[in-house]
Amino acid sequence: MPFKSTPQPFKAAINAVTIGVGDKAMTIGGENVLPLYTFDAPIANPPKVGFEITDTGLELAIPGIAALYEGTSTIGERAKKAETLEGVDFISLKFAGADPNGENKSAEDCAAVAKEVASATSLPIVVEGCGNAEKDAALFEKVADALADRNVLFMSAKEENYKAVGAAVGLAYGQKVGAESSVDINLAKQLNVLLSQLGVKNENIAINPGSAAVGYGFEYVASTMERIKAAALSQNDTSLQMPIVTPVASEAFNVKEAVVSEEDMPEWGPAEQRGIDMEISTAVSAITYGSNAVILRHPESVKTVSSFVKAMTE
Amino acid sequence: MSVLTDLIYAGSDAVAGLTEGLVNDAIKQYGAEKTIAFPDTAYFLPTIYAATGVKVKTLGDLPACVDVLKSLISKKEDLGEALNAGLATAVGAEIIEALKYVGKEDPYAEETGIGFVPDPVIRSLGVPLVTGDIPGVAVVLGKSEDASAAADIVKDYQSKGILTFLVGDIIDQIADAGVKMGLEFRVVPLGHDVTAVTHAVTVAIRAALIFGNITPGDLPGLLAYTKERVLAFVNTFGALSEIVVSAGAGAIALGFPVIVDIDLAENQVPGALESVLDHKETVKHSLNLRGIKIKLKEIPIPVAFAAAFEGEIIRKNDMHAEFSSQKNPAFELVAMRDENEIEDHKLTLVGPDIDGEAPVGLPLGIVVEIYGAKMQPDFEPVIERKLHHWLNYIEGVMHTGQRNLIHIRINKEAYEKGLRLKDLAEALYCMVMDEFDSVVDKCQVTLYTEKDTVQQLLDTVAVPRYDARDERLNSMNDESCDTFYSCILCQSFAPSHVCIITPERLGLCGAVSWLDAKATKELTPLGPCQPVPKEGCLDETKGIYTEVNKAVETASQGMVHNVTLYSLMQDPMTSCGCFECICGIEPFSNGVIIVNREYKGMTPLGMSFGELASMTGGGVQTPGFMGHGRHFISSKKFISAEGGVERIVWMPKELKDAVGDKLNATAKELYGIDNFIDMIGDETITEDPEALLNFLTEKGHPVLNLAPLM
Repeated sequence: MPFKSTPQPFKAAINAVTIGVGDKAMTIGGENVLPLYTFDAPIANPPKVGFEITDTGLELAIPGIAALYEGTSTIGERAKKAETLEGVDFISLKFAGADPNGENKSAEDCAAVAKEVASATSLPIVVEGCGNAEKDAALFEKVADALADRNVLFMSAKEENYKAVGAAVGLAYGQKVGAESSVDINLAKQLNVLLSQLGVKNENIAINPGSAAVGYGFEYVASTMERIKAAALSQNDTSLQMPIVTPVASEAFNVKEAVVSEEDMPEWGPAEQRGIDMEISTAVSAITYGSNAVILRHPESVKTVSSFVKAMTE
Repeated sequence: MSVLTDLIYAGSDAVAGLTEGLVNDAIKQYGAEKTIAFPDTAYFLPTIYAATGVKVKTLGDLPACVDVLKSLISKKEDLGEALNAGLATAVGAEIIEALKYVGKEDPYAEETGIGFVPDPVIRSLGVPLVTGDIPGVAVVLGKSEDASAAADIVKDYQSKGILTFLVGDIIDQIADAGVKMGLEFRVVPLGHDVTAVTHAVTVAIRAALIFGNITPGDLPGLLAYTKERVLAFVNTFGALSEIVVSAGAGAIALGFPVIVDIDLAENQVPGALESVLDHKETVKHSLNLRGIKIKLKEIPIPVAFAAAFEGEIIRKNDMHAEFSSQKNPAFELVAMRDENEIEDHKLTLVGPDIDGEAPVGLPLGIVVEIYGAKMQPDFEPVIERKLHHWLNYIEGVMHTGQRNLIHIRINKEAYEKGLRLKDLAEALYCMVMDEFDSVVDKCQVTLYTEKDTVQQLLDTVAVPRYDARDERLNSMNDESCDTFYSCILCQSFAPSHVCIITPERLGLCGAVSWLDAKATKELTPLGPCQPVPKEGCLDETKGIYTEVNKAVETASQGMVHNVTLYSLMQDPMTSCGCFECICGIEPFSNGVIIVNREYKGMTPLGMSFGELASMTGGGVQTPGFMGHGRHFISSKKFISAEGGVERIVWMPKELKDAVGDKLNATAKELYGIDNFIDMIGDETITEDPEALLNFLTEKGHPVLNLAPLM
């Protein structure tokens, strides 16, 4: 019997969320099929690939990244270089230096950095905090003000600070709010509901329901994302129809496989390549399970992952 | 007409007349094309814009607005109509203030007041307002007879983090008293003219537009938002002019209560317009009226307070003081009270403190009294159970037990650091207000250490209360309630599992009773426990309800479609993995065995607890096997579809001992069997199914006469 393909698009769809302004603005989400199921219906907006820049410049320790930035001295110049990368859709600016347990840069200083980066690039911008809930809330408020006209996505509002972040980023400045929960569909849903009760509109929310490097509990992430997409599409659960943005960089480059030096583990080969491999495997897996955008650190990963997206969606 | 509405209409008329005159003068002077705008705002004249959607841009736009405001003054003898006239005053005041900015860069340059509050300031204020970091907004206006009392009030607001706007001569009185003013100090002078109050009003209104997504022109939406979300109130000082009264009516229309310091006698409107003559009461009364709760950020006690100290053991030699039910009367009690019976944050010690030579041994009665609009007697035990944790969180304090069987020790180090009994009360107060703020509005803690008083309270207050609770627990059954609860606390690792919790069937973990679930819902409205109406009964014996099935289907994301509440064989409830016990069919006897998690040995089924768990957990339905809590065993609802507890043929000895009395009582009530527990086998009798059958036959176990399970 010949195989007869029966497309099965859903009646429900993931929300389309636009980030950035002008020609380079990007839209994530919008699809009415499971991740990469192009055979059921065309994917409205293929997953997007972002490149991470940190305010501290710690990633410059990686030779491949240092090479990209050769001849630059300011973060603005670095952002300009990053814009030229093959396959990059957006810039993710991470304020690692704002951490109160680290450099503890003030929110005002960070806002100035954000302005510098914004004036250097016309790509959409995602802002990542330092992870400290209280500091991020203060930081995001200043940066949301500084980038008021850029339609920025802020990563992220968590259970501890969703009110402050939601009110500042989502309500006061009308920017996009990233809702972060830890690998549990119900927590993800609860945070989305809380944000919308606060007054943030669903179409202004993207979610990060947790991330992990492959081999480091990624199966939990995969299962959570899978269930979120299933509930969003097959059950038309409006409080789970937000597109997923997964920060891969910080996970992939922090695991043993990426960190241990070649001197310590000669049989593993060059450390940089291992980091790239971890990043690509994690990003590709995340996209396969439902990420609508991934944030990456290495130029090589950006190139490979964007070509993977192309191959899968065109 | 009442005096009040008279005054409001008179004030509104005066403002309307004044506004009209000023508008006409301004148009004469500058022409109708002249621009009118407040500085730094995208909301035009915010009150007019929000209420009507009209964007006032030039002086020529104003006459129409004046007509609208005049139309609001209906002169009808009705408080609601009069309050609308108050809104007219707000609109008039806004126009008058806006006219000040026509032809002048900064009309407030010569003033202490700051005048119009620009949008960026509101955006920055909005966040702490939304998060509760600024718990409320006070608008203080007039001129006080007693300047220092007014200053004390403002200082009190300041210390509580409340944002205070000042209007009128009170600005100078507060400034003279040395109160620091400015946005960063949360005391903001607006202006000396009474119309400057509009600058406070537009803050509330723009908050609604910016943070509430209110569409301009949606007046009902706007009023609902300001009433529910902007926790503002007004304090007036000194005699009231008709304009102030009318402006106050506008505030009331926005949902902001007005508290005046002169006697309004019968003209008071409870909840909206009240007199408080004693300035010492103004703050408390205002906060109460607006339902503003102040949270303490840190617990002011001389030792540390953290969950990390929970496991602290205090040995006899390190002990400074001890309270033990075995030596002295001692108890702890959380009791619900009426609003007027208690005073918030009143901490009292009745009797001696722990000063003196170690070891100090005293009786102790801890009485935590609570009032809350949403409080229910059923939450008392839920909060009371937390006392154990909170006392343990105090560094140098150890607590065990509950109710009237408690044991508390305080170590020498904590005593030397200055810890006294009042600090225990303070810690309890802070934690009640922090963790249970959604149901608790007021809390008062009293500690008693005199033997006779403690004994008397124990006998007359505490024990009757405990008894009443037990009585309620025992009388609660699935028939008499109308709501069950779902619990999905475990879904992080058992994604398709849902517990349905009923009064007679607690969660399989043993940790979530029906009361806990009910309290969880109240405390975390979007949390893991959601109400399931007991509706659509399809089979009472098996416990099949359409609403339950619906809830299970939704909460399991479509993985489980039907569950029964009381059957082991048909659609048994799923299990996550944290069940206290597993019940499984024993085919030789037609009965069931129950095995608890702690039991390491073999069962007559030839499977250990772990082996049984692997086929029961994970959110799957395995007819014939089911996880459940210990307390469920003696429930009359335990597999009642299959005949109930008389199916039980085997349990580990430890479990038998633990549930024996209650199980005997249930068997006696249901079947008239005495000492049923003695008919049940355990590992000391046999782990072999055939030997078990012989044992059951010998004992005349009722299961042998029951219909086959399969």
